[in-house]
Amino acid sequence: MHELSMADAMVKTILEAAEKNQAEKILEVTIEIGKLTMLNPDQLIFLLEVLTEDTLLEDSEIHIEEIPVEIECKSCDYKGLTNLDDSDHYLIIVKCPQCGERDLKVTAGRECNVKNIKIEKSD
Amino acid sequence: MHKIAEVEIQHDIMLANKKLAKRNQRILDKSDVFAVDVLGAIGSGKTSLIESLIKKMNVKIGVIAGDVISKFDANRFEQYEVPVVGLNTGKECHLDAHLVEHALEDLPLEKIDLLFIENVGNLICPVDFDLGSHIRMVVVSVSEGDDTVEKHPLIFKDADLVVINKVDIAEAVDADDEKMVSDARMLNPDAIVIKSSLKTGKGVDEIINVIENFMNK
Repeated sequence: MHELSMADAMVKTILEAAEKNQAEKILEVTIEIGKLTMLNPDQLIFLLEVLTEDTLLEDSEIHIEEIPVEIECKSCDYKGLTNLDDSDHYLIIVKCPQCGERDLKVTAGRECNVKNIKIEKSD
Repeated sequence: MHKIAEVEIQHDIMLANKKLAKRNQRILDKSDVFAVDVLGAIGSGKTSLIESLIKKMNVKIGVIAGDVISKFDANRFEQYEVPVVGLNTGKECHLDAHLVEHALEDLPLEKIDLLFIENVGNLICPVDFDLGSHIRMVVVSVSEGDDTVEKHPLIFKDADLVVINKVDIAEAVDADDEKMVSDARMLNPDAIVIKSSLKTGKGVDEIINVIENFMNK
């Protein structure tokens, strides 16, 4: 259950940025999660809600955007998105969509970014 | 008056761990220590494999033994009189670079050539957390079921060495160990895959050869 430590790190990052920008309230938060991270978005939202009680983040709207998987194929030099097939999740990391080879490097899809926040502040 | 503002943050939460992992590797390199992250499910045979390697290898070995709350594994290693640090993660399901950094402070690195970092028994969570080790070894036993490899693709995708363990009981637990080997090779053509049994000693010499080759690279 490492969503808890990740959520905790996110809350700290967000509150730091909010404080730096003299926020009085945080209205919205956007978080990007790579499709290949072992993080469950629903669990993450639940934990963020728990951890943000009595902070500037309480009641803010949390948006989670998924970062798609990109690869570099070592056989045919294809670089870019994979064909995602949610019914067979793991195939995305083993086959190049262009040549079908399996020897490839994952270049995107393992991130966990706090992207931006929308805040309310005094004039 | 109040106004609404958008603040760009663009902060990768994983980055802090990655940076610490790189720092750990620099610390290890400075003392000429080669580190192996040992991953696998509960009961896969991680601790027993490390014990076998301690007994058979002719290098100075140290161990970081990760566990959720107990020191059982650390105690097992202590009987071989090798430097051991037991790490308890408390509520966490994986080791991270920060915990390992503290463990490195407690180890006599100048007296170690090869450091095994035994992760918490888990095939999912440790995937996201580099520790600063030089290679990742994943241990999976036939008794976990012969579909375990294909069901946990990411941990095998990142492995340098995959050990299919307890092959002596494959028939008894109705598991096809060859399927596990081919699943691992399909997921990760670069990984070295070895079948082992710590009961009979099968595969242990091969594992030692592979680790020594990585150390000498």
